[in-house]
Amino acid sequence: MTDLSFRALFLGAYLLLISACTDSSPVFHETERPLRLSDWQLFSVDVSELAPSESSVVFRPNNPLFTDYAHKLRTLWIPQGLQADIIDSEISYPVGTVISKTFYYPRASGTALLKIADSGLQKINLDENQLLETRLLVRKSDGWDAFPYVWNDEQSEAFLRVAGASKPISLSGQDSAEPSNFTYFVPNENQCAGCHTTVHPDGDMHPLGAILSQLNVAVSESELSNSSPLEQMVARGWISDVEDFPRSESWQDPSASLEDRALAYLNMQCGHCHNPQGAADTSGLILDSSQTLAINRGVCKPPVAAGGGAGDLRYAIVPGHPEESILLYRMRSDKPDEMMPELGRSLIHDEGIDLISRWIEEMPGSC
Amino acid sequence: MKFSTLRTFSIAGAALLLASCGNEEPTMPELSFEEALQEQLIQAKAGDVITIPAGVHEITRSLSLNVSGVTIAGAGIDESILSFKNQVQGAEGLLVSANDFVIRDLAIEDTIGDAIKINESSNVQVLRVRTEWTGGPLSTNGAYGIYPVQSNNVLIDEAVAIGASDAGIYVGQSSQIIVRNSRAEYNVAGIEIENSTFADVHDNVTTNNTGGILVFDLPNLPVQGGRNTRVYDNQIFDNNTANFAPEGNIVAGVPAGTGLMIMANDNIEVFGNNFIDNNSANVLIVSYLINELPITDPNYDPFPEAIYIHNNQYTGGGETPDSEPLGLLQAATGQPIPDIVWDGMLSPGKTAADALCFSESAETSFVSLDASNGFAQPSFDAAAHDCALPRLSAISMSLSSQ
Repeated sequence: MTDLSFRALFLGAYLLLISACTDSSPVFHETERPLRLSDWQLFSVDVSELAPSESSVVFRPNNPLFTDYAHKLRTLWIPQGLQADIIDSEISYPVGTVISKTFYYPRASGTALLKIADSGLQKINLDENQLLETRLLVRKSDGWDAFPYVWNDEQSEAFLRVAGASKPISLSGQDSAEPSNFTYFVPNENQCAGCHTTVHPDGDMHPLGAILSQLNVAVSESELSNSSPLEQMVARGWISDVEDFPRSESWQDPSASLEDRALAYLNMQCGHCHNPQGAADTSGLILDSSQTLAINRGVCKPPVAAGGGAGDLRYAIVPGHPEESILLYRMRSDKPDEMMPELGRSLIHDEGIDLISRWIEEMPGSC
Repeated sequence: MKFSTLRTFSIAGAALLLASCGNEEPTMPELSFEEALQEQLIQAKAGDVITIPAGVHEITRSLSLNVSGVTIAGAGIDESILSFKNQVQGAEGLLVSANDFVIRDLAIEDTIGDAIKINESSNVQVLRVRTEWTGGPLSTNGAYGIYPVQSNNVLIDEAVAIGASDAGIYVGQSSQIIVRNSRAEYNVAGIEIENSTFADVHDNVTTNNTGGILVFDLPNLPVQGGRNTRVYDNQIFDNNTANFAPEGNIVAGVPAGTGLMIMANDNIEVFGNNFIDNNSANVLIVSYLINELPITDPNYDPFPEAIYIHNNQYTGGGETPDSEPLGLLQAATGQPIPDIVWDGMLSPGKTAADALCFSESAETSFVSLDASNGFAQPSFDAAAHDCALPRLSAISMSLSSQ
């Protein structure tokens, strides 16, 4: 090899590296398990901003999961030239697809963080926000794989933490109440699969947010842009335009009935395990809206293996009596052996409790 | 340019370029014992043996294993201890969903919820494993010690389970089960086989539990129709610990002082056991109706049938029954509660002999409680149950030795 060709090679490598520092396309890793998030090139990170690659679509699902009031920046990327198919009314992503979810909190003064509504930022200002973790779901040739990356204190890099991580958080509301001090948990890879494998144990992991009904956001409600994530995907040629996409109900939709909102909430927060084939079917409590028999949905259903999680109560749901309902007791608990969901939160979700409480309050019947 | 020089230059260049991204090279965090163990469990391959060294290892988050063909091996039931005393996350100590799983020679202590939960797994061996809540029997203890559920081919051998607020060894919604040579103490239920089929429970010691051994079938579960369980050659004595289960749980209804309790199961053979001083009743056979809970499951049969009890030994027991109907019975007769107690509730069209047969020594006492009629006319006449049933087959399973 001549000096000249070496120089050309080096120049190429130089340009490649330079481009990694500015906007560039994400990179798919089929076999490697990069220890650094930056190896995926999903974001440009400088001292003041985390910005998704322009090759990605930023999205927010219709019916998001509660995670300790953390804000979430979600991206979806399909390698250039590839397309997703619609199979059985669901998106089948091509190998190479990378979905990311970055969890962060707005900063208050000092080390305290702020509990305020997620405004759906497209980029994260690092002076005003504290990054916690970025979770990836990557479509490999043998299925989806999950990667939890945890940001360092300098917010300069996130490292793969196969076994998860934990971080003490002090979260202040806008009122002058005392901040909530809690431990924020980054899931380990098995825990990722715990939610993303909805058919247990032989099913495969799959996305929960980047699915057709979740991405089909009504444009007027979209906080991100003038087009829904699904429309952006069509515009990029990632999926072909299909009429009548399904749309999932949102627990936050003020125009939906109380019942629909409650069921949407339970479906999203609980249905990934509490479905007829899920890990929690052992309990006989099915919360994914598939059941017609009231007892299977928890109405007047005695606990099976709840232990202390039953809170000395007799039934999962007692119509008209949220205070006697185990379901609500477990939502209100922040003890690891009692609370539901078992994973994904350390705080209780006041708005969800309020919704389910009103739903049970208005439910007719008795046990 | 020579190759070596060039390489040096390239590395220097790359370092420079990385620096030009605006950051110094960030450093990887170090892993704790717990994180390293969990990482091993995640990255394990079939055939791996993950060793837990002797010593007390503090674990704060649930451990989990999803990889089939893995063995977790400690240095001994009292040597390798995973202590969850300061657990802050997870509803169990170890959660397993993996076939061909072996866990042996270690202890799991003081988990905040269940100690070892094994969900939807086949070919499971729990050998010389201790699960214990070290503060004694408290309602704040986790529900289950060793807890395989919806699993097949489960062998629990030489295990020790202490202090569970539900069941020490609990096998639920499973099939092909052997629980043997194990010891269960100070749990609400020592050993419980629930909504399961084809189980052998033998050569165990259950003592100081609320109930020694339970064989239950419950409604509204994806797997039900519990049947074909043999309970034999067990030592079942002094299971008189006050019931400390949280209310609402089905075992909260188990009277303190229960030796063996069979609820709504069919085809159960009980023989060669030694029942001593279980102070509500040495053997209690009931229908699910005794709980006075509504049954909305059309596929559920609440009545026990084809229960065959023979060649057991009974010493003492029934002295201080922890149950209103049993208490009234004792008050009425001035005698201890008989060795074998049946609630007397029958499925329509069935006879007493369809429910329960026994061949015991002449001095073995019996009562049918007449529960369907508000316990109005208990009967001590065992003649209707003087019958024999075909012996059940032994469970055989071929599991790889680890």
